[in-house]
Amino acid sequence: MQRYMPDWWVLPAINDQNREFFTSGEIKIQQCEACGQVQHPPEEVCHQCQGIVFDWRSCSGEGTIFSHTVVEHPIPNSLQERVPYAVILVSLTDYPAIRIIGNATNIDADKVAVGQKVRAVFEVIEDEQAKVTLKIPQWEVIS
Amino acid sequence: MQGQAAVVGIGETDYYKRGESPKTEFQLASEAINKAVADAGLKLEDIDGFTSYMESRNDPGRLSAALGMKNVAFAAQPWGGGGNGVAASVAIADAAISAGYAKNIVVFRALAQGQFGRFGQSKASNYAHGNRAYSAVYGMLSPAHICAMQTTRFMHQYGVSQDSLAEIALAAHAHAQLNPRAIRYGKPLSREEYHASRWIAKPFHLYDCCPENDGATAIVISTREQAKDLKQTPVPILAAAQGLGKRDGALIFNEPSFPTSFNREVGQQIWQRAGITPKDVQVAQFYENFTGPVLMAITEMGFCEPEEINEFVADGNIQGPDGKLPINTSGGNLAECYIHGFELINEAVRQVRGQSTCQVKDVEHSLVVSGPGFSPGSAVLFSRD
Ligand SMILES: [Zn+2]
Repeated sequence: MQRYMPDWWVLPAINDQNREFFTSGEIKIQQCEACGQVQHPPEEVCHQCQGIVFDWRSCSGEGTIFSHTVVEHPIPNSLQERVPYAVILVSLTDYPAIRIIGNATNIDADKVAVGQKVRAVFEVIEDEQAKVTLKIPQWEVIS
Repeated sequence: MQGQAAVVGIGETDYYKRGESPKTEFQLASEAINKAVADAGLKLEDIDGFTSYMESRNDPGRLSAALGMKNVAFAAQPWGGGGNGVAASVAIADAAISAGYAKNIVVFRALAQGQFGRFGQSKASNYAHGNRAYSAVYGMLSPAHICAMQTTRFMHQYGVSQDSLAEIALAAHAHAQLNPRAIRYGKPLSREEYHASRWIAKPFHLYDCCPENDGATAIVISTREQAKDLKQTPVPILAAAQGLGKRDGALIFNEPSFPTSFNREVGQQIWQRAGITPKDVQVAQFYENFTGPVLMAITEMGFCEPEEINEFVADGNIQGPDGKLPINTSGGNLAECYIHGFELINEAVRQVRGQSTCQVKDVEHSLVVSGPGFSPGSAVLFSRD
């Protein structure tokens, strides 16, 4: 699918903590092996038991829009052509306390509303410079 | 022990629109400090400490040399790079004075954004690193976007109206009309103009967002004992607090309390320490980065329930000098001048001294709440001597 933000827009700098999130093609959340705590964004220490060994929990990719904003004033100016765009905050159906930032890719920015159900989709981008295939999580409003 | 320290002097430079200051930031800092020291009836050589916040570029060594100080006995800043540290910088000075680490501490903030470029201005680069990857990749970049996300949810959850956001901007502009120092002096704002102004990031119109300004402001904090011999009526620091709830330091909107202005624990602690309740406060300054987080902070500091905020701010209730709780009585960040919120400290002190251009009657307790929506929050409460 075409990227929601412009083609030239910033990409995630991939590291061990975010590789699963940005390349797996699934919504994957960090889970502590010792106590089972799930947390986002990934952290080096478990917020529950201070464990340091983690796995990745695959989620269904369904969620609800918890909040949003429509950006009208471009920062930087080079986004002038792209505004208005909507940034959404998705509460995962599997773990409602986990919230993920994204864009609603299939509706006008001004149609986005709290409570809409969304489903994960992925923007596949070849990052030639970093030699990695990104699958950036995004969201389609389904109802 | 609390209540040992008092504000004995205040000073500020002229205020300018961003980039219009004829002086450098360091020159502005020096001027504001000189004025605060003179206001107190002290000499520069009496100053022996500094606190500031937001990674102040004007460091204590350079300042002490330029100001001819004999000693720097204490210098510190709170962690964190934002306006949430305004009151914390006063709290640190209060603690140091109360502990006897210094005798006369200057707390200050100076800003010349034309010289250094804008704070909080996002620059695009090819890659977003660390936790910015989870936000910048999606076009979530600036403090406006962060506070807009918090505010949308707050409005949804509690039925908060756009007009309640407007009330914060209208109060600031109404108060600025009484204050010749204010950038917006002589430029009133109507409700119609507010609603007609362009969107920045919904639900924020232009007038929901603080402008960019240049200037400097400073205060001097001393012991109450010494304050008796100085020029001004001392304004004691009755209580101060920082606060951050359990896991509320989790990032990118994963704090359990979202949407929060990070002021719940601040409120609980400050009222307990002061031995008063919000009802005992006659006037308050709430740092306006954006209007929405101010509404959240009013509720989290305990002035009303979130469900009551529409009524709390309506009908001139927050407009001085006669409203139920006048807020931002100098015009605040939105309409007096945005010196990263430190001008609010000077105004809170003026209210206790009886020197505000929008003077509230019989001020016993005067509150300042730092930049909401960024953690940890902080607040400081001044009282009559
Ligand atoms: Zn654990």
